[in-house]
Amino acid sequence: MGGYGDVQMIDENGLRMDGRKPGDVRPITIETGVVPVADGSCRMTWGTNEAIVAVYGPMEAHPRKIQRQDRAVLDVTYNMAPFSTTDRIRPGFNRRSREISKVTADALESVVLLELYPRSKIRISIEITSAEAGTRCVGLTAASVALADAGIPMTDLVVSVASGKINDVVVCDLNKEEDNYGEADLPMGVLPNSGELVFLQMDGDLSPDEFKQAWDYNIDAAMEVHKLMVDALKGGEN
Amino acid sequence: MVASTVMKGWPVARLDTMSRESSADGPRDSRRALVVVPGEDLGVSEGYEAGHGVLVVDGRLKSTKQGRMNTKGSTVSVEPLHTTYMPRPGDLVIGHIEGCTNNIWFVDIGAPFNSILPMSLGPAKVEFGGTRKILDIGDSILCRVQEVEETHQSVVTMKGLGLRKIKSGALDDVDPHLLGRLIGKGGNFLRDLKLESECRIVVAENGRLWIDGDLDGIFKVRNCLKEISLEARQVGGVN
Amino acid sequence: MAAPLVPKLLRAHLSDLASNDARLDDRGQWDGRETKLEIGVLPRAEGSARVTMGNTIVLAGVKFQIMTPYPDRPNQGGLMCSCEVRSIAGRHWENGPPSPQSIELGRVVDRGIRESGCIDVDDLCIIPGEKAWQVILDLHAISDDGNLFDAFALAGIAALRNATIPAERFEIGEDTPLKVSKTPIMCSYHKVGGRFVYDASYREELGGDERIHITLGDDDHVHSLQKGLKGIFTADEFAEIMEHAKSRCSELRDMVNG
Repeated sequence: MGGYGDVQMIDENGLRMDGRKPGDVRPITIETGVVPVADGSCRMTWGTNEAIVAVYGPMEAHPRKIQRQDRAVLDVTYNMAPFSTTDRIRPGFNRRSREISKVTADALESVVLLELYPRSKIRISIEITSAEAGTRCVGLTAASVALADAGIPMTDLVVSVASGKINDVVVCDLNKEEDNYGEADLPMGVLPNSGELVFLQMDGDLSPDEFKQAWDYNIDAAMEVHKLMVDALKGGEN
Repeated sequence: MVASTVMKGWPVARLDTMSRESSADGPRDSRRALVVVPGEDLGVSEGYEAGHGVLVVDGRLKSTKQGRMNTKGSTVSVEPLHTTYMPRPGDLVIGHIEGCTNNIWFVDIGAPFNSILPMSLGPAKVEFGGTRKILDIGDSILCRVQEVEETHQSVVTMKGLGLRKIKSGALDDVDPHLLGRLIGKGGNFLRDLKLESECRIVVAENGRLWIDGDLDGIFKVRNCLKEISLEARQVGGVN
Repeated sequence: MAAPLVPKLLRAHLSDLASNDARLDDRGQWDGRETKLEIGVLPRAEGSARVTMGNTIVLAGVKFQIMTPYPDRPNQGGLMCSCEVRSIAGRHWENGPPSPQSIELGRVVDRGIRESGCIDVDDLCIIPGEKAWQVILDLHAISDDGNLFDAFALAGIAALRNATIPAERFEIGEDTPLKVSKTPIMCSYHKVGGRFVYDASYREELGGDERIHITLGDDDHVHSLQKGLKGIFTADEFAEIMEHAKSRCSELRDMVNG
């Protein structure tokens, strides 16, 4: 096991600094109905990440130029609150947030039955109130729970997980410290019932074998997280 | 694969397709239906019809909503926990006038798209330039959905028995899929509520209610609505 | 913010209720909704609070930055209060550049806290003329069911009161609690159906007229006032709400100081 600089992120037993095995995800909690004025909402904590998502609609699409005659449009905004990181984020336009909003919308448009609501808009507001690492995954996963809570018809929930590489070891769901020294990051959005993908990004450097390992970690982790999402939506029934 | 699959039936629970077994006054927790979530497999589709909130994919039934699964005869459907009103021709609805031109009123009927009320279907004959004298912005009306096009252009009418401008009382809302519960078996629940509150209550299919009576009565109705809504949104809610 | 439609029937009903001394949700004229204050809810903020008033929920977070003092006040740090109501908070709120409504919210809360003198800006100076702390209070609405003003003000002062100056992270000494000497509290009143009520809900705001915000410090000193929206009020009406504000502010102050 190699080091990265002088920082050793994996101990001799193969455990990570927070005691997780390479394939483990951080602790997760999911709660619905947290924005009482919204049609659907979800609060998800993932490690010390916290995302709050509200869904409004389907409703009349304004301005008229965004309307689609054959289907609904998703208006997704991903935003990090100013106090969500160690150094304050200045509110306002931000290219990173715009990109994440867009890929999140692309992922969700693949599962929502948009053609049932021509000319309307479904608004999904993702607010990250506390960021650790992997906020786009938390945001996307929480958004799919909020959509279900709003009664929006969709073919499946979306579970998003990222794996990466530290000290030349592939690990799942990097936390803040690991992310700072990470050598690669592979976030994926998985449809848990079919194993298909709706979201994929990657940056860094992975060998073919490492890539395969990261991919498999993501799929396995997604299935674990899906169980928690189902539990939250069913409120412990069944 | 599924994006092109069209959901059979209508995407919103309606009075006529809702199960009415669950009346709000009786105990219902003895045989509560299974709660399902979007994407959940509901078994083989052979021999079954996909109802509201259910898709057939590769010979399997699949839920597209969070809600309670119902099997009625051979139709499997999901009764959602939250819905948005989707208009259908013939629906009695309560609308708010949002705007107008010389010959059209624009009406908010609480749906994902607003409606128009052409002058020819309005409550009275309008002199040129006198649209706002008949129905002004902010007025509320009891009307009926005349037509809904596939692209969701919709038209409402005020020609019909009992359709009019609402001039007194209060409006309230409840999720459209809860109307079945509010009305009750054979209309019993609503009838009792009217008697008890001494109010006139008009239940429109877009989930808006017109309650007319004295304030005590209006409060009684409102509290009752609140209870129904709270109860319905509870999953695992036997607490 | 797209101006939402105000049904005439709602206004008529609200005035009917007012003349019978009743409110939409069965509260008395001066009753507030159930108010809950939670401290330290945001792991990345140096001080934080969440306030829940009925269905209205807001977050407040405090962050610190190093600033260069202004040339005319070389011995002073700074306090900044910023507020953004984003589309998560309600159907009628939209994303984009801050709306006048959300700027007004931030500025009214800012004035109440600043003018009370609860934070001693001289105390924030690190090296005169070179380095000082800037305290930034960010207010974030989660769910708007009316009266964001009071919720923001309460969350704001509570977040400041449990803030820690992160000096270690900036390598200038040890972390110390931010000194907050006073507890300014805001109470807001809306004219609904022709009379003022305390802590209006969203539907009351929608069908109501003008609003008045009063911030009182310890000893009932007045620190900020704001009249918003279209409407006319009398001196007697103002005197009446001022009386109520005194007692309500002291209740809420006990909650913050708790």
